[in-house]
Amino acid sequence: MTTSCNSMIRQRVQSIETMPAIPAIFLPLLKMLGSSAEEVRVDEVVRLVSYDNTIAAQCLRVASSPLFGLAQLPRSIKAAVMSLGLRRVETILLTCCLGQAFPAGKWALNPDIFWRHSLGCAMVCRKFSEKLTAVDGEKAYMAGLLHDLGFMVNCMVFSKEFAATMELACREEIPLHEAELATMGFTHCETGQALAQKWKLTDDIIEVIGHHHAVEQSQKAQPLVALVHLSDLLCRMRGLGYGYYERHKVDLISDPAWAILLKEHRELEGMDLVRFTFELDEAVEDIHALVSAVFGSPPAKA
Amino acid sequence: MTIAPQPAAAPLAAGKIAETVDPVYRQIRDLVYKVSGIYKAEEKLYLLADGCGRRMKQLNARTPREYWDHLTAQPGRDEELRHLLNEITIGETSLFRSQPQLDALRKVILPEIVAEKTKQITKRLRIWSAGCSTGEESYTLAMSMLEESEHLLKGWTVEILATDLNDRSVEAAKAGIYGDYALRNTTDYFKRKYFTTVDEKKLQVRPEIKKLISFSRLNLQDGSKMLFMKGMDLIFCCNVLIYFDGASKSKVINQFFTNLNFGGYFFLGTSESLMKLNEQFHLVHFPGTIAYWKPSLSSGKL
Repeated sequence: MTTSCNSMIRQRVQSIETMPAIPAIFLPLLKMLGSSAEEVRVDEVVRLVSYDNTIAAQCLRVASSPLFGLAQLPRSIKAAVMSLGLRRVETILLTCCLGQAFPAGKWALNPDIFWRHSLGCAMVCRKFSEKLTAVDGEKAYMAGLLHDLGFMVNCMVFSKEFAATMELACREEIPLHEAELATMGFTHCETGQALAQKWKLTDDIIEVIGHHHAVEQSQKAQPLVALVHLSDLLCRMRGLGYGYYERHKVDLISDPAWAILLKEHRELEGMDLVRFTFELDEAVEDIHALVSAVFGSPPAKA
Repeated sequence: MTIAPQPAAAPLAAGKIAETVDPVYRQIRDLVYKVSGIYKAEEKLYLLADGCGRRMKQLNARTPREYWDHLTAQPGRDEELRHLLNEITIGETSLFRSQPQLDALRKVILPEIVAEKTKQITKRLRIWSAGCSTGEESYTLAMSMLEESEHLLKGWTVEILATDLNDRSVEAAKAGIYGDYALRNTTDYFKRKYFTTVDEKKLQVRPEIKKLISFSRLNLQDGSKMLFMKGMDLIFCCNVLIYFDGASKSKVINQFFTNLNFGGYFFLGTSESLMKLNEQFHLVHFPGTIAYWKPSLSSGKL
């Protein structure tokens, strides 16, 4: 991509007025996720959420999804923190905030489909990280949740161009980022990165957003970028893609991202990828249900 | 000797079923997977529970826990496991059973094989349905290939070999007569085009389809006969290897690898895993399905 194209993206993203405001608690929440003072944070989170009843109610509903493991609706944010832990509740809140930043509407990419993929990827990233030693599961979740942020930008800022992208991708059944390059000359990785920088997300998350389709080019946090890349591919192959058939053969173990992850995590060698795939299938329905809970729209038939 | 119950692996999603199903079924699910490679997903645990229920009745076992002892204690545990595998895979056979598999075949695999073989002089596609049972899979493949004869496979010769150990199954397969249950996934288009009516409830495959398939009896463990099945582009072996012990399974799979052409694909049942019994095959994902690939010479992945 040319430098002029890059600065054009940055300019357009910087001057976004059409982009719905992210909920006020989003940025403080992100900052808190990077802090280590747990005790302070519990009260702070409860105080923050008290400003936004919608987010609070959504958070409790999400927390009671089978995907997050609570059998019943927690009575309060504090109760959810007691049962699920602070970081889990923080990432749930983040999920709800993002849900509001990309509201249901007539976008080139259906928000329900977008969130099923993003949430699916977040869940797979976390589950994947459980197979590895010393990987922060909540960080992996966050990276998976935010990796495709650029599609939100494309829908809202480059809506005409991106509609042509979607049309090409569906017609030719090719990966979406390839269709983006063919129609726009840039991808959601660049637009997402620009928004992530505007939002001042952490460096590793920016790296994931910018390089999850070109892991080898990432300079920082390469294992995390690789983890998201692999989880993204797996989601697209198991019914959590972008709503159309991708003519795509995925050989995860031969993917350069696998080798990158393996270099850091030898335990990957023992992973039963087929069983992992079957287990992912079990979550698909729950993810559909959860997206409906967050956005309030009925689940679409697969 | 009794195998101590292992804690069931935590599923990716807990789901509604998780709250109602006896945890012993999860142990049985893990045992079945370990021994046979068949994985019953969380939402299909009730099918496993039904199968166990029928066996429990036969054995007068009062609780799932008691049935677990039958499955794990000598003597007779191997036989009981076979009975259970029969129960849980029964009724899985039908024509057009796995649409994702057929989509992958038509949209990704065939174009790839055709492109690869166009460089060669031969325009011949060889498919083997190993353990064809009563012929549903073989006829599905034949009809699908015939649909491509005017497009992708124009000018190509397609040979389908279908083998089974059981003489009666082979005879039934040759007859090609199917009722509503076996035809439940067959569209009217295919019924009209490729079947004749036998009576109110039964249809028979037309002779021009039968001509494409060569049915015969074959024991997959007969090494000398297996040697003759060479030059295959696709091998399908659905829910057959689940009955084999580890060593026999490994031997047959290695033989399949030899029987395949470079660039060929090996398919198992939709919820069946190769369990890392062969490291030469590449596990590949397509939308909604997985397969095992013998890399082509040009792929650089050998």
